Amino acid sequence: MSLIVAGRIVPLTKDRKVAQSENASFQGRVWIGDDDRIAAVSRGTAGAVTITNSGRSAEFDNAPVVDVGNDLVVPGFIDLHSHLAYAPLPLWTEPDRTVPFQHHDIWPTRPTYAESISWPAYAFIEAAPAELLAYAEIRALVGGTTSIQGSPPSNRPLDGWLVRNIEDETLGGEIGRHQVLASTLTLKPEQLGARAISMRQGATFIYHCAEGRPDSIVQREYRAAHAAGCLQRRLVAIHTNAVDSASYDTWSDPGAIVWSPFSNLWLYGTTTDVPSALGRGISLCIGSDWGPSGTRNVLGELKVASLVSEAKGWGFSPFDLVKMITANPGDVLAEAWQRHAGRLQPGALGDLVVIASDAEAASRPDPFKSILRATEADVRLVVVNGKPLYGTEQLMQQASAAQTSRISVNGETRRLALTRFEGNDEPWSYKDVLKRLEEVRDDPKATIESARRLAFAAIRTGAPPPLRLALDMPTGRVPVGGLPKDLSKIIVPPIQPLEHDEAFFASIHGRGFHEGLLDGLSEFYS
Amino acid sequence: MDDQHAAASLLQAQTGQLLSDFLLGESPGGEPRRRERGGGRGRRPDFRIPKAQVLDGGERLQIIDTLIAVIGGVYCHLPQKRAAYALDPVQALQLLRAQVVALSEGEFHLALTSIISGLRDAHTRYSGPAAKQGAVAALPFLVEQYGPYDAPTFVVSKVSAPELIKDARFKSGVILESWNSIPFARAVDLHADRETGGRPDARRARALESLTFRALECGPPPDEMAVDIAYRAPPRGTLRETRIPWRVVQPERAQINHQPGSRASRYIAADPAAEAVRRTKKLMFSGNVWEADRSGTAIAHDEKRVKWIRTRFQDALAARIVKNSSSGDLGYLRIWSFDVEDDDAFIAEVMRLLDILPDNGLILDLRGNPGGLIWAAERLLQLFTPNTIKPARFSLLASPMTRAMASSPFNRMEFEAWLPSLEAAIATGEPYSQPLPLTDPAWCNDIGQKYGGPVVCVVDPNTYSAGDLFAAGFVDNEIGPVVCVGEATGAGGANVWTHFDLREALRGTSFELSVLPPDVGYTLAIRRALRCGAADGLPIEDLGVPGIAYEMTLDDLLQENRDLIAFCAGLLSGIPRTVMKVQIDERTVSITTRGLDELETYMNGRPFEAVRRISDGAHQLPRPDAEIIEFVGRRNGEICQRRRLGLNAG
Repeated sequence: MSLIVAGRIVPLTKDRKVAQSENASFQGRVWIGDDDRIAAVSRGTAGAVTITNSGRSAEFDNAPVVDVGNDLVVPGFIDLHSHLAYAPLPLWTEPDRTVPFQHHDIWPTRPTYAESISWPAYAFIEAAPAELLAYAEIRALVGGTTSIQGSPPSNRPLDGWLVRNIEDETLGGEIGRHQVLASTLTLKPEQLGARAISMRQGATFIYHCAEGRPDSIVQREYRAAHAAGCLQRRLVAIHTNAVDSASYDTWSDPGAIVWSPFSNLWLYGTTTDVPSALGRGISLCIGSDWGPSGTRNVLGELKVASLVSEAKGWGFSPFDLVKMITANPGDVLAEAWQRHAGRLQPGALGDLVVIASDAEAASRPDPFKSILRATEADVRLVVVNGKPLYGTEQLMQQASAAQTSRISVNGETRRLALTRFEGNDEPWSYKDVLKRLEEVRDDPKATIESARRLAFAAIRTGAPPPLRLALDMPTGRVPVGGLPKDLSKIIVPPIQPLEHDEAFFASIHGRGFHEGLLDGLSEFYS
Repeated sequence: MDDQHAAASLLQAQTGQLLSDFLLGESPGGEPRRRERGGGRGRRPDFRIPKAQVLDGGERLQIIDTLIAVIGGVYCHLPQKRAAYALDPVQALQLLRAQVVALSEGEFHLALTSIISGLRDAHTRYSGPAAKQGAVAALPFLVEQYGPYDAPTFVVSKVSAPELIKDARFKSGVILESWNSIPFARAVDLHADRETGGRPDARRARALESLTFRALECGPPPDEMAVDIAYRAPPRGTLRETRIPWRVVQPERAQINHQPGSRASRYIAADPAAEAVRRTKKLMFSGNVWEADRSGTAIAHDEKRVKWIRTRFQDALAARIVKNSSSGDLGYLRIWSFDVEDDDAFIAEVMRLLDILPDNGLILDLRGNPGGLIWAAERLLQLFTPNTIKPARFSLLASPMTRAMASSPFNRMEFEAWLPSLEAAIATGEPYSQPLPLTDPAWCNDIGQKYGGPVVCVVDPNTYSAGDLFAAGFVDNEIGPVVCVGEATGAGGANVWTHFDLREALRGTSFELSVLPPDVGYTLAIRRALRCGAADGLPIEDLGVPGIAYEMTLDDLLQENRDLIAFCAGLLSGIPRTVMKVQIDERTVSITTRGLDELETYMNGRPFEAVRRISDGAHQLPRPDAEIIEFVGRRNGEICQRRRLGLNAG
């Protein structure tokens, strides 16, 4: 289905036929064709001519037109660092800890880690895997995210459902699987060697690397990646906050780093040496990380990056920062997918987000400042692969969105186009998703056991196995077998709201190791 | 259901169908029965079992290839079996594969069963396309032996419903002389050659059991449709002959048994055939208990002249007070099985029974226990000792398949702990992974001692698997003496998985297992048990747990183990006895002791006061503000009693 979105276009493109500069914006239209790609980006009302000239006007004869006025039409946000399986969990700190953790192998060994994180997450992946994914992906949509990394290992590809799951995306079968490889856990030298080979053959590798304080031992993970031949253009290194600036010199054909400042500050009290990385030509992206030490979505993480930049005097402009959740990760994905992403230009993926313009600002407000300051309430429409999946009632109606249900975000009504994971496009509401997650919370033991029996029955009968997910983070110090003796002892904390709310900000103050820096996040939302 | 109806229903279940009908009769699963008249209400239930499916060549190859993969890749006893019996099951399966299509159906299953049973491992069983899972071929009487091992006497200790045996003289107590014209002892030994079991005595014990009960899910049906038995009434009655037909019955599973696919089902150590036979014995000889299992109602065992304590775990437990002239009243706790889904509930029920039983001494009888949930067996140990329980540890075979299984993200919870040593084995050459407990040591000590009197444990070669683990834990944690009818326990030392468990665990790896033909399956020992304590590192498989030898007597068989109980009572009386009883009220805690000279008190795991020198009598202290209070009683420095109680403070 084709779609036309008219508004203030912020294309972030280098295509000079679309815009004179990467930071340009203009009133115009984005034309998404039947192939779910952007057919054209036009200025003013000249688009019809552009489309006619391209010979694709028939595709748009009956296309719905969504007119967002002065609101911003932006490339869909890309979150290159997440862990969907842990999305419903609240921020975590080890009680009574007074000094930051040295590195990523320390906090999983703390006594409360498994009971606070691994076991509740296990309850969700085992008893309600589809609902867990739905929750995590809806939360991403609410923050304007159209592509997300960090899907849990799954027994079936998570492709073409809601937001793009970066590791599983095949663009409707146009590209093969395993174009994007990922690992949360530290790999052995021979495994890194295999990844080096895969990257030389065209794969992109997203790797948690050297996560910790700069003086910590995990810096050797970066050296191991170097020794294995992984420091290539197609490497996307998550964190690298333990890496000293000089070491970036060894990445001679630089790829990208995913920066998750909230998580870094929360756990380690320091964050990645971003200026040094940028100085070596390494591309910078932003990732929201996970529930226990991250923001709710990458739009929130953008604000943390801004806070850090300001506090450290790094001088990132709103444009620089917005690129870190659009064009920069889009270029990373374009390498893997051979399709432009994170930029609005002909041939690019039909992923966009509409952000409310800053009505209180000057007559020609800086669109990038508006995006930086935008909250979930400012996300008016999210289109993935040409399909309107989430937005205001008005815009979803204009976009002819089908099978939508009501969802309330921060007290505002939105419509959500969600279908069941395994249900022949049967509509599904967030309310139902939440209801099932709450059932798991209420009785983890019964729901886990029941799900296990169903899975086992499918194996016995030869029926297709139900959706199965696995945890991708360290499990922590657990008994052999990984779980408490009595599953009813699993305490699943309250499922977190989809948006950054007052309780979230309240839970930041006086916790973690950010020395008050993250307290400033709430000001963006006040 | 009224009594008459219930009795008729039970008799119907005990009658089942004749083996001849089962093997040669018409299949009820196929076309409609032509002989059947009418239908609907009042129709006699069809107890017949569908006939076995015939496998084509492709299906046979599927089975063999799967067995080659799993026996070569994850069967945890493979190195030991190769050493102990000089056999190579993988090569044998490869040879069978070459001729698989040319064999008749019967030849194929026989050849395959022979290879698997050659492992002499009751955990590892091939289950052909049985007509119906759970079916057991049964004769309506129980044979047991007494006397010395090299000159045993075989006696009918129990008979089922009189309707099933035409010869009224054939009853409990008759001595068996021959089986199909073969001297009875010789017939048992011949049958033992087909049985699993690492030692000759274990094979004979299992042969004696399976002589009259064959779990069809785990092995071939009897060769004959009926048996000709020569017997005489004791001591020198007239030699008589009778012919008794084999019947096929469905013993079903009890409500408390573990459920396939549950979390507990991954922590099973049991002989599936022996478990089916155990249930069949219950159906045939304790029908009311079997009926109660189906409905989940609490009942006492129905042995004549014996008063058993009512329990809702009657499938697994039976308890009574036994009178003994020298030691006074003793407790007798029969643990029939550890096959339970909920080990917490099982242990809670044992605690309830222990409260009722006298504290003079306890006989734990695990004879014939075919195993079950490992957690149930290992956690139970703590109730009988002040010592900290160390559980057995389990290893995986170090192979590419187990490494792939342990590396799969879907198995992280289950196998992550084994992965480092499996990977290290590539460099170290170790044939096994690091051994790790399946029952976390904290779980084995989360309740503490509940029975303060001396305890003796009775086992036999049919005490198997989780039963072996209990016996090993009993010895290795120095709880008390083990009395063994036979040389040792049955020697099944492993955690057992089914094809479905393995298929699920190997999904997504390069060793993915295919679907097997309908109703075909197997069970496989995948984690090898090693003992702790003084026997640290010794495997249980094929060795078992030896104990103080005891030979059964005729009185034992016919008089409720009279001599065995007297023997155990003698052992118990020789164990120095101490007593500790703790009572808590709103303000005080009272500790009554006997035979102890020191008392230590701990609050929330920390010392509460200096060690008290004590003598027999009552001691009091104010009720402390703590969640947990623990008392340790010593005698000459040795810890003899320990009680831990929750105070629900605050």
